[in-house]
Amino acid sequence: MITLFSTLLVILIIAGGFVAIFSKKLLSSVISMGLVSLGVSGLFFFLQAPDVAITEAAIGAGLSTAIFIIAIKKVQKGGTSDDE
Amino acid sequence: MMNDTPEMVKKVFAIFVVGILIVGFFMAFTQMPKANAVNVNNTVSRFYVMKDVDQATEMLDKGTYFNKDMVPLRNDVPYTPITFGKSANLEDGAANVVTSIVVDYRGFDTLGEVTVLFLAASGVMLVLHGQKRKIPKKRTEPSEIMYVGTRIAFAVILLFGIYVFIHGHLTPGGGFPGGAIIASGILGLFLGKQGYSPNKSGLTIFESLSGMAYVVIGIIGLIGEKSFLANFLPTGTIGDLFSAGFIALIYIAIGMKVGSELSAVTNAMIIDTEDD
Repeated sequence: MITLFSTLLVILIIAGGFVAIFSKKLLSSVISMGLVSLGVSGLFFFLQAPDVAITEAAIGAGLSTAIFIIAIKKVQKGGTSDDE
Repeated sequence: MMNDTPEMVKKVFAIFVVGILIVGFFMAFTQMPKANAVNVNNTVSRFYVMKDVDQATEMLDKGTYFNKDMVPLRNDVPYTPITFGKSANLEDGAANVVTSIVVDYRGFDTLGEVTVLFLAASGVMLVLHGQKRKIPKKRTEPSEIMYVGTRIAFAVILLFGIYVFIHGHLTPGGGFPGGAIIASGILGLFLGKQGYSPNKSGLTIFESLSGMAYVVIGIIGLIGEKSFLANFLPTGTIGDLFSAGFIALIYIAIGMKVGSELSAVTNAMIIDTEDD
């Protein structure tokens, strides 16, 4: 059962990584990076490392995704002219 | 000032710097002195030397821990199994082994880790500080449901974050994840209301005080136990909330520090973004 879950998670991580690299939109790249973090956190949990899993879920999937999105908003605003 | 120095001095100085670099580069190829061989069997548990969980579990189940075929480790220390909720006055006393290593045995390492996070946050604040907030006109306000919902969710998230770092010595988690959870709750508050702004000086004071508390706890250990960040409190019964000495105290300090630091970083980023 754990093997099945882990395999699914690994497939999710690899798919998320490919989407993050090849996506045209920066926003979907960032979201799929958050997805990768979520999968990695689940994998850590199955590999008996719950401490790292909690940290990865809180920082990788939560905060860093939000900060990336804020940064993308800021960069796009600076790149284009005053038009929103 | 630098332009007045003659060319010759500059050249000599450059050759000197390059020479030091070359010497340092070739020092990497010199042979390292051989350290004295240490017999690990005499210093650590056999379970560590073995590195085979199945074998260790089997030996514990069969009670063949002191097999005659194997050389007994530490004859002076008899093996006593540690029972959750019963064993008292252990060396460390934390039910969570990771925490006992991170905070107790490698406490100075964790102080460095907190310092690294503090420097990163200082860099972000240095770059993004001093932006004035203008509430944009075009944006639509979040709805009342969003406003009330994020506030209720923030209370629950804050409670969970505090739970994670107070129970760091019992359950998985600790100060860093607890602080990050609290910071993500504050991020939710930003989403709920346009122009929300936390008490900035309050965050700064909170962060400084908790960072100082960590060092003060270390200095108390230095005075009481003759070593910086030494455990100066009784360790109690394993599995109790009031056990494992000062681990809970340090994790409360770390959790408050990380939470306020990451909230301040998020605050700086968002205020800068909304400024036109």
